[in-house]
Amino acid sequence: MCKHLHRFSSFRGAVVVSLPFDLDELIGAWSGLRSSMRKAVPNEFSRDEWAYLINFLSPEQLKRPYYEAFGAPADADGKVSGLARPRGTVAVWLPNNVSLLGPLTLILLTLTGNRLLLKGGSRSDDLTGAFLNFCRAHLTDGTLQELLERQVQYEIFQRGDERQAAMVEEADVRVVFGSEEAAAVIHSSGNPVKSIGFSFVDRQSQVWIEPEAASDEVLRNLIQVFAIYGQAGCTSPRRVVILEGTERQARQLRDRVLALWPEVLRLKPSMHIASANTLALQWAEASGWDAAAAANRAAVIGIGPISLEPIDSPLFLPISSSSLKNAIEHLPANIQTLGHAFVAPSDVRWLEIAASTKIKRLVPLARMHHFGPLWDGEHFWRQCFEEVEVDL
Amino acid sequence: MSALLDRPVYGPREDGEFLSEMEQLTLHHLAGCKLYKQIWRGWQSGGGVAGLPFLHVGLFKRLLFCTDGLAHERILQSSSTISSQPSQIILDKISSQLQSRSALAILKDFVGERKRPLLILDDSKSLRQRGTVSARMAAALSLSPLATSMHFLLADAGRPESMKWDDLRSALAANREFLIYGSTWLLWLSWGAGSMPEDIRRQLQSKRIHFVHSGGWKKLEHLRVNREEFDTRLTRELQPGSGVVDYYGLVEQVGVIYPLCEHGFRHVPIWADVLVRDPYTLQAVEDQIGQIQLMNTLAHGAPYHSVLSEDVGSIISGPCPCGRSGKRFELLGRIPQAEVRGCANV
Repeated sequence: MCKHLHRFSSFRGAVVVSLPFDLDELIGAWSGLRSSMRKAVPNEFSRDEWAYLINFLSPEQLKRPYYEAFGAPADADGKVSGLARPRGTVAVWLPNNVSLLGPLTLILLTLTGNRLLLKGGSRSDDLTGAFLNFCRAHLTDGTLQELLERQVQYEIFQRGDERQAAMVEEADVRVVFGSEEAAAVIHSSGNPVKSIGFSFVDRQSQVWIEPEAASDEVLRNLIQVFAIYGQAGCTSPRRVVILEGTERQARQLRDRVLALWPEVLRLKPSMHIASANTLALQWAEASGWDAAAAANRAAVIGIGPISLEPIDSPLFLPISSSSLKNAIEHLPANIQTLGHAFVAPSDVRWLEIAASTKIKRLVPLARMHHFGPLWDGEHFWRQCFEEVEVDL
Repeated sequence: MSALLDRPVYGPREDGEFLSEMEQLTLHHLAGCKLYKQIWRGWQSGGGVAGLPFLHVGLFKRLLFCTDGLAHERILQSSSTISSQPSQIILDKISSQLQSRSALAILKDFVGERKRPLLILDDSKSLRQRGTVSARMAAALSLSPLATSMHFLLADAGRPESMKWDDLRSALAANREFLIYGSTWLLWLSWGAGSMPEDIRRQLQSKRIHFVHSGGWKKLEHLRVNREEFDTRLTRELQPGSGVVDYYGLVEQVGVIYPLCEHGFRHVPIWADVLVRDPYTLQAVEDQIGQIQLMNTLAHGAPYHSVLSEDVGSIISGPCPCGRSGKRFELLGRIPQAEVRGCANV
């Protein structure tokens, strides 16, 4: 039962959002959890992941989806032009190697007031389950604890399990992270006619840097963004392009990244990462890359033409110099995020590139991993609400 | 080609001669293998054994190395797993001859020189594959010079329970001593833990058998079988003088195997060498655990003469109580793996 009405104001007039809880109370409960989170990092999470989650739970971050979707909070007076209410049940499929997307999606969707059904990967480190356990252990009585108990169902099951069909049948909104095949199966298995679906499938990302914009801060950000997931993240750079640069500039940039690496990442990687990077270094050299290893063999960075296929190794970062035209031509068909370091980001030509290519996100490279209510070209979060036309 | 092979396998080491042969072999591969040269184009001799180039073992799953100037015959293939490609090693006639001599010399030191029937816990299908030979079959066949006859005891190597008991009965009836080879998990599941007919069990009581196995214990981890139980179960009802030899070897180092000695160490033949490297700096280390590098002077057809493995171990100083001289090391297992996290790229 939706009993809390929250009013927002946009250029179209006031929109009222009907929720089963007081939004400020819920946001307060999520952000209040951060004091417990600062005390210990659960084993399942890396420190970086946990720190990102803590930051994600700030009140400003949690209010952002509402502001972006419905406008700024407004007074109770005035004309109302629309009402939004939760669609009912949102089902989310999380793949096996999913990282923080599970917990982040969970947090975002709890704000919508929908009932949530989440299916975790059957072979992966279970960050969503671990995060839910943490929440349940550290939340005292209140709106959020009640919501997680009654409105959130998280399960792990194998392909072919009958719970899959039940999830599909119950869902008013389906959100699928995974392969195209998995998404196709889920979206074509007896879904309710009025339900809607979103597929976040295999994507890759790049970083584009103009040589004059390659400050040490930009390179530090590049190291951090790449090192978290290497090639395995859909928002991680699979290639760095030095726009209108020379091979010499690419090599200089690589050498600066290598020099900065131990300053940015002090910890040694695990032994198998170091070994995998010894392999990557040799494989890259054999494949025509001019490759070098970062401190402690934490990564391998290769210089080569944009036409050269990168080797398939988790922590191999290829850097290519290229003309803008050539860089556009070599964008992969499944490009998602283009992380940028441009001298003049407001230059209209970047917007023209966003308009004429298939990129889904064009953001500063430090923001490449930032997950939000607009994802992969879809405002999926807003569409978890049904919108009612009103004229009152 | 490798004069060292003419000497006693665990005799006094001739490190200068070994280094000289390895440097020549490295120059041979640099001249004849383009991929190898791309990786090690700046290499110069003079850095000692630790300065010799190596290839990471994982490269053989991704690239096919071949050195010009030799007649290449077949491809030796490791068993592939769900998650990985098999390693592929091009075999040539000269290297194969050296490798056979090497394996035989090492095995003789552990199982003796007497010829006897060789029972192989495998099926014979992979013998019939043209152009390739599996690592498991190559391991079994390395014992063939010590065999008076060979018998494949499984109807289907994928099913350890498919033992051909009648064939085994016939073989046991005709002889008193045997060699038995199986990969570690197959030997255990089909023989050690398998349900054996009572009449065969009685027949075995009068036999002397040397079991030889390789391939590692990973597939047995879930059964929690330890080495002591493994060895005891295999030999408890046999005649004295029976034994179990567990050896370590890589497809990428074919011909050089490292049986476990009675005191738990692996000994290095004089035509081979083993280094342990710090995985972060790749410096050779003497007194700490690290990544094992294996070398030998036998590989001419492709540059697999020096390979950095994904196994960890340490060099052990001082003489071994087993009496074998030369270098020895302790194998501690594979580098621990961890899942790579990403996002939706499944």
